[in-house]
Amino acid sequence: MERSCTAEEVVEMLREEGLVDLPAGVDGDADLFAAGMDSMAVMQLIVIIEERWGVRLGAADATREVLGTPASLAARICEGK
Amino acid sequence: MKADVLIIGAGSAGLAAAVRAARAGARTILLERHGFAGGMGTASLVHTFCGLYLQDAETPQWSNPGTLAEEIGRRMELATGLGAVKSGRVWFLPQHPVEFAALADSMLREAGVEVLFHSELVALEPGWRARVACRGEGIDIEARAVVDASGDAVAASALGMGHMMSDSRSLQRPAYVCGVQGVAGEIDGLALAGWIIDGIRAGDLGTAATGMHFRASGRAGEVFATLDLAGMETGDYDPTDPRCLAALEATGREVAMAVVACLKRSAPGWEGAFISHWPARAGVRESRRWIGQALLTGEDVMAGRRFDDEVAVASWPLELRETHRGPRLRYPVGPAGIPRGALIAAGVDGLFMAGRCLSCDHEAQASIRVMGTCFATGDAAGKMAAASAG
Ligand SMILES: Cc1cc2nc3c(=O)[nH]c(=O)nc-3n(C[C@H](O)[C@H](O)[C@H](O)COP(=O)(O)OP(=O)(O)OC[C@H]3O[C@@H](n4cnc5c(N)ncnc54)[C@H](O)[C@@H]3O)c2cc1C
Repeated sequence: MERSCTAEEVVEMLREEGLVDLPAGVDGDADLFAAGMDSMAVMQLIVIIEERWGVRLGAADATREVLGTPASLAARICEGK
Repeated sequence: MKADVLIIGAGSAGLAAAVRAARAGARTILLERHGFAGGMGTASLVHTFCGLYLQDAETPQWSNPGTLAEEIGRRMELATGLGAVKSGRVWFLPQHPVEFAALADSMLREAGVEVLFHSELVALEPGWRARVACRGEGIDIEARAVVDASGDAVAASALGMGHMMSDSRSLQRPAYVCGVQGVAGEIDGLALAGWIIDGIRAGDLGTAATGMHFRASGRAGEVFATLDLAGMETGDYDPTDPRCLAALEATGREVAMAVVACLKRSAPGWEGAFISHWPARAGVRESRRWIGQALLTGEDVMAGRRFDDEVAVASWPLELRETHRGPRLRYPVGPAGIPRGALIAAGVDGLFMAGRCLSCDHEAQASIRVMGTCFATGDAAGKMAAASAG
């Protein structure tokens, strides 16, 4: 289990898992929902975050504020540690 | 029985083919093993028409104007009162399976098509003679031209003619759609995803539930629940194997029951929710494909290639669903033509195909399988079949 999490790591994870098609050179503020992330991808994302970082997101986290960008996700993961 | 044109299968492609052939003056028989037309759009509750419009346009523009794709699109808008919706770079039209079946009945009646429901093609000989089974009885039908709009290229299989099927691992994954009623308020897909995750954590749901998503049907309190399936419930995925199909159906129902029960307990607005209808069959995106006089490829579609002899236009991106983890979309540079030869069988006269089993490779099928494009290829195949029979 890793100790902290950065927006770059979230982007790398999203690419590896093929959850959303991210254009080359996206930064931490990229809008993941605009990039095609849907409710199914969100469920898979939450499962993968638990596997990778040991952080359990739940129903309260299923919002655009938390899941909307790599940066917001990374912040939530760090908070959950 | 005798006909000029025999159409196998009354899905979106077969419906359009039959209406077009009959309007062109051919005596037309349409065979369908269910008790209604519409195929996946009714039997499997697939509830949006994709491929009707051009990609990237500011306003919805018909990709096959003047064909049955436009006509069915317009009549569906009137039936539901709903218009085209833009999602990212594409437009689609919400449709309701109840309206679709009734609309298909009207169109077939108006065109004078002889419809044989509850009838399944079991054998076919060139020339053409078809053997159809209805309620344990065999019926023979003679026809001058045949259109295979079965979705599964059943005529190619019956004739032992050239067809292909992607290997089990790369076939587009199946999905199970059911109707849910009694849902109050708007659908918040994200919040529902959260409740499902909580249900998995609590041990009430298995991980298959992560394949579930919802769309409002446009009717008060009604929602369509779609579960993307791995297809590996009993081993390798094979949409032509009845044991595999049985497992899809049972798994779809089992997971849907558990998910709706879970949301009923947890999700605001779902307290009174219940599953109101099962589909007649689980949805199959891809099975056998024909090898015809021409073969449309994924590269053709991606390059927006046009053909001198094209008979329809493909305007939906490649929608790849080789895993049950949601779609990967590949956007072509522009609309692509579908050449005439992709709808004509090679080496035999008077045999045409349309819809998701026409002659194309796996990647091209990921675009041309959508119902808007199936209406257009059905229209074209119906026209060619009527001309060849006349
Ligand atoms: C889960 C899922 C979601 C989809 N989502 C969309 C979407 O959002 N928008 C979209 O446009 N498309 C979507 N598609 C694709 C689209 O629904 C299908 O590709 C399309 O309906 C294919 O039409 P078709 O007429 O070629 O075949 P089908 O719809 O499969 O129709 C074939 C018909 O032939 C009949 N038949 C088969 N064999 C015989 C026989 N031997 N004798 C008599 N009758 C026979 C069948 O009963 C059926 O009615 C989806 C598909 C699935 C499975």
